[in-house]
Amino acid sequence: MSMLPSGIFHETYKEDMAVFQTPFIKFWMALFFLFLLVFPWISRPLNAALHTNTLYLMNLIGIYIIGAHGLNILTGFTGQISLGHGAFMGVGAYASAILTVKAGVPFWIALPLAGLITALVGMAFGIPSLRLKGLYLAIATLAAQFIIGYAMRNWTSLTGGSGGLVVKSPTFFGIDLDTDRSYYYLIYVLVIAATLYTKNLTRTRPGRAFVAIRDRYLAAEVIGVNVWLYRILSFGVSSFMVGVAGSLWAHYVLVVSDEAFGIWLSIQYLAMIIIGGMGSVLGAIYGAVFMTLLPILLRIPEHILTEIHPEIFAIFQSTTEGVFGLIIILFLIFEPDGLAARWHTIKNYWKLWPFSY
Amino acid sequence: MKYGIARFKGTALVFAAALLLTMGVVGCQKAEEPAEAPPEPIKIGGIFDTTGPTADVGQDYAVGCIDAADYINGNGGINGRPVELIANDYAYKIDKAVELYKTYKDQGIFVIQGWGTGDTNALKELVNRDKIVYISASYDSNISDPAKTPYNFFGSTSYGDAIRGAMQFVDETWTDTTRSPKVVFIYPDHPYGKNPIPAGKAMAEELNFEIGEDQFVPLNATDAVSQLTNMKKFNPDWAWIGGTVGSAAVIIKDAAKLGLDTKFLINVWGFDENLVKLTGDAAKERAYGMGTFAMWGADVPGMEAPLAMHEKKHPNDTHTVHYVQGWTSMMIMWEGLKKAETLDGPGLKAAIETLRDFDNGRLTAPLTYTPTDHRPNMTFNINKVDSGGNIVQVKTMTIERRPEWLGQ
Repeated sequence: MSMLPSGIFHETYKEDMAVFQTPFIKFWMALFFLFLLVFPWISRPLNAALHTNTLYLMNLIGIYIIGAHGLNILTGFTGQISLGHGAFMGVGAYASAILTVKAGVPFWIALPLAGLITALVGMAFGIPSLRLKGLYLAIATLAAQFIIGYAMRNWTSLTGGSGGLVVKSPTFFGIDLDTDRSYYYLIYVLVIAATLYTKNLTRTRPGRAFVAIRDRYLAAEVIGVNVWLYRILSFGVSSFMVGVAGSLWAHYVLVVSDEAFGIWLSIQYLAMIIIGGMGSVLGAIYGAVFMTLLPILLRIPEHILTEIHPEIFAIFQSTTEGVFGLIIILFLIFEPDGLAARWHTIKNYWKLWPFSY
Repeated sequence: MKYGIARFKGTALVFAAALLLTMGVVGCQKAEEPAEAPPEPIKIGGIFDTTGPTADVGQDYAVGCIDAADYINGNGGINGRPVELIANDYAYKIDKAVELYKTYKDQGIFVIQGWGTGDTNALKELVNRDKIVYISASYDSNISDPAKTPYNFFGSTSYGDAIRGAMQFVDETWTDTTRSPKVVFIYPDHPYGKNPIPAGKAMAEELNFEIGEDQFVPLNATDAVSQLTNMKKFNPDWAWIGGTVGSAAVIIKDAAKLGLDTKFLINVWGFDENLVKLTGDAAKERAYGMGTFAMWGADVPGMEAPLAMHEKKHPNDTHTVHYVQGWTSMMIMWEGLKKAETLDGPGLKAAIETLRDFDNGRLTAPLTYTPTDHRPNMTFNINKVDSGGNIVQVKTMTIERRPEWLGQ
């Protein structure tokens, strides 16, 4: 249960259900939105310090957040594990590319259509979830990863084979969204929409049905939840979001090639929601930020070391990968509920400070 | 040469250069001061795989590039300006390759030394839009047509042309007049392996070869017995191997185990000094390779400089042909940068496109680039592992520069 500061009482259900409940939170959220709004204009000085392109990273994080929300709905809320979301993202990317390039559909229509096509594919691969649970479902979705990957490489007439498909950047009322900055706004409008949608979904009938299935599917069935329908629905909604993420990626890097959507991406998505916090809307965001930023932050000491001993740069680079793995393991041991839970603990500590116990 | 990240130093140098310029403008009375800031280095982006799935060949390639940058700086740089190669690993992850690319672009870098099909393919549209020259270790024929990929360059016979040459080699060495040779294509389901196959098959058909069923051996295969048993029924005279060293070694060893008489033609990333070490006797008189580059330590004039760098910097390391490949990519860039009228992407592109029969000391056959054709050369050696376990040259192949083969 979240605690409210003293002096704030809810008098209506509407107040009780509000996403942002106190003026304090509203103030900080407003400030945060302001930050998001101006970030592309203040990001450049950060680039040199972090040895990266921060605006690109923000865009990448945004795309991953949308995908991670998708996987979180399926794995975090409905309790159905998927190792195929990397490939589903590829389905979205290819669908969008094929629609815009071969069928001449405008981007703004191709984007939701790509999501819908991915949803259909996701639902098809979700059918085994009716009979399979846990690790068995993980293996079934892993098969999806490999089947889709194979199709992307070998269905040459449709996917262009290994050369991939070249796509165009979208235009918005005559403005070509071909810079990191303009694309940033496109991505973040969708990130906010996806976040609000996910947040709201958890408070609706389907959302509650998802959670009921996750917690005990037999009990859910007994109280009248159509387990079959909601499992497939969960696959659909989840794949829709990751498909939209794929479409955004395609029109950002302008080439869709199968190598971007391998098993590594599926695992990365899973890592995001596990580290961020399964079944928490904020968790997916924290996870996406963490998984994208950590390798970049780890590169800073590597740069310093390389400056001192330039001859052995390859060794430092492999160390970075090792440290990355170690941090993730330590995280899972000491904070198994994810970053979202940790954030909650810290917040409550300060709320009660100095009388915490 | 500083190939580590030296952005702060770079900024300091810009300021120093600006200061010097101002001083020069304000008055020449200070000219006797000896304090002259070193010229600002030309930054080169490096996108390598040193920890990912292709690191087995990628590390040596990266070292070759880094050493070449040192060599360039020790030999006059770019008209007096040093180069600074910023070497970074992308572990064959596409999002990371794009991140490195955008970072380099943000720093005003206009030439990138890239790596395999993964990054080269993913970035081909962005480099085209941003006018950044991308020199890759992917010799995919797809990126040799400037009409589609004007900013992509590479420094070797393309995979497509190599496989055509391999088929012509089979034809030219064929002595049996009663039947035509039987060939099979073995490759992984991976762009590097798959892309040249249609070209090879078309050539084989043109030469009236009998073509057997394709066999798929993944890059990370640990055995190929089932594929080779399958192939044994057809009993080909020659088989093409389109994998990297690891899978090529597995195929060669299993072929020896099964007692196949088939000889193997191996693409450039699958035939190096390590293949001999990994296969031992199995490779002898069985493994033939596309020698689009001189092997490490070969007796050619261009090998002197890499050998000297090796002696100077890491005499105890062993190197392979991949070091030479990295070195060559840097040399093409150097030649272009020296000739470039303007130091930017279009300037460098135009300069590289003026190279005609550019001789790199026979590390490769002479290289030619034109504004309409980025196929660097059509000549390469076929090497083999002889009965003593040494890599020896068998034949030099030159194939026709047919216009319809551009980009194929």
